[in-house]
Amino acid sequence: MAQYNIEKQLNILDYALSSLWRRRMKSLSVLLVFAAVIFLLASFQMVTQALSDKAKQVLAYTPEITLQKMSAGRQETFPLTYKDQLDGIFGIRRVVPRIWGYYFDEVRLANYTVMGMDTAEMPEGDRLDSALASGKMPSHEESGRVVIGHSIKKGLDLGGRSTFSLFRPDLSLKPFEISGEFSQNTDILTNDLMVMTLDDARDLFAIPAGQVTDLCVYVANPKEIDTIARKISDALPAVRVLTRPQIQKTYQVVFGWRSGFGSICLLAALAAFVILAWDKASGLSPEERREIAILKVLGWETSDLLAVRFWESVIVSGLACILGMTAAYIHVVYFSASLFRPVLMGWSVLRPELHLLPSMAAGDILLILAFTVIPYLAATVIPAWRSATVPADSALGG
Amino acid sequence: MLIELSEVSKIYNQGHPNEVRALTDIDLRVEQGSMVCLKGPSGSGKSTLLAIIGCIFPPTSGRAAIAEKQMTRLPDRFLTLHRRETIGFIFQRFNILPELTVLDNITLPLLPLGVSPKERKLRAHALLERFGITHRAQFPAGQISGGELQRVAIARALINNQPILLADEPTAHLDTVLSREFMVIMQQLKEAGKTIVIASHDPLVFEHPAIDRIVTIKDGRIHVP
Repeated sequence: MAQYNIEKQLNILDYALSSLWRRRMKSLSVLLVFAAVIFLLASFQMVTQALSDKAKQVLAYTPEITLQKMSAGRQETFPLTYKDQLDGIFGIRRVVPRIWGYYFDEVRLANYTVMGMDTAEMPEGDRLDSALASGKMPSHEESGRVVIGHSIKKGLDLGGRSTFSLFRPDLSLKPFEISGEFSQNTDILTNDLMVMTLDDARDLFAIPAGQVTDLCVYVANPKEIDTIARKISDALPAVRVLTRPQIQKTYQVVFGWRSGFGSICLLAALAAFVILAWDKASGLSPEERREIAILKVLGWETSDLLAVRFWESVIVSGLACILGMTAAYIHVVYFSASLFRPVLMGWSVLRPELHLLPSMAAGDILLILAFTVIPYLAATVIPAWRSATVPADSALGG
Repeated sequence: MLIELSEVSKIYNQGHPNEVRALTDIDLRVEQGSMVCLKGPSGSGKSTLLAIIGCIFPPTSGRAAIAEKQMTRLPDRFLTLHRRETIGFIFQRFNILPELTVLDNITLPLLPLGVSPKERKLRAHALLERFGITHRAQFPAGQISGGELQRVAIARALINNQPILLADEPTAHLDTVLSREFMVIMQQLKEAGKTIVIASHDPLVFEHPAIDRIVTIKDGRIHVP
């Protein structure tokens, strides 16, 4: 009996293949549209996941707690002496001052993110060197030395030189020498970043001596981040306290919102495709009606005809999945997900050149299959039931 | 008796405004190995009678026994199962699928029976050889001549070696030569023991000497002259 059933299904599969081949233009057009929908969904999912992973990886370098001063809803500098008020809080390992600002390069029409800090002061300062493709982070004695992101170097177009200048607010020029370059693996956050000494950053932005924009707080026990943050808030009520989990959450929300928006657009496209598939599967041409009636007279059961349609749909959706997912992988790896960059990477003037490694969990693949193959099977097999009930006697004459 | 109908009636859309009484009180007995012609004008009920004999649908009332099985109360699935074991069909215009090859057309009834490709090929080639169309096996059916098409249709009806062969207006679109050739093949099949029922109003069919009996249908009833 099992042998009979296997042989029967193989025969029906064979017939389904020949049926698809007979309607090859129609089959091919459905396959291509379906593959395109899967391609869009899969590459969107892959790039979102890859960006999210990359952000997580880079955010691991951020301090556990960051303090900023806000006034009228805008960030402003504050005296370094605020640091003294944290001395009594138990659990703080180290407090590192930082200047964080944005420099608009009017010549190249680009925004740079400028970070002034003494990296040797940071507990994981050594690890920062691993984010560099070449050179090293400037120590506090190395005035005028700077580490820059990939796009900045490209934009500055230095040729063989390693020096450049930026304008101070009074339009005098401040010279810099490049001491290192960030690795492209960290492009998403370092692409437009310049790291220099605290004094150089103060000089560049004309910030008075003894003032900073941030205090980076490192704690001994990461489980105590929230408690320490609360204590800091109590000690310095005028200061905004940001914890690393909060920043990570913000990034997740940004990616989540962007990918959610994109997914909704793509799911709308998928819905349109499924409706089209349903419509196509519901309508029968006179030739198709005749073929069904002939097969029924020749002893085919309704279930056999449904099995033909089922196998046709499995073949089309299986091929579409393979095609769509492979194309998505190529799109993300070799074309840096160029289709989705405007949606997912719209916050930077200097767009990072992505070098993404597609990341997709088994759950994501199953989700895409659930959102594509299952609706397609339903949209084609359910209406086929109506088609398969074409009366057999319509194959006979009057 | 291989086919035994008693007081068979068929009403389409019973109880609805578009109700049509197609057959009324049909009594018909066909012995094994005989050839019967159902004669009558278009719309007389020949095809409906053929559909009941062919287990395509049961009669509305009366008793119908085909190959010793009562069809009257059999569900659709069992009608299909019985049909594919018992009945071979030859359609008007032959109803061959033009894009399939001759071989694939002939083996169509075997696919849901779970017959292996090797066995299918073996059976089909035996019939192709018998009807002299082996050289056309891999041709798309839409590209062969009318006479070859006719033989493909007969081969398909015989592929599962069913004891009963039903033909619905088989010569309606054939010229005289092909119609005669068709009847010669039917005669050979009858002599080989097949029971054949042909619905036709073509004199070349009902006047053929191999026909054992002519049943005239008029307005859904058997007409006795």
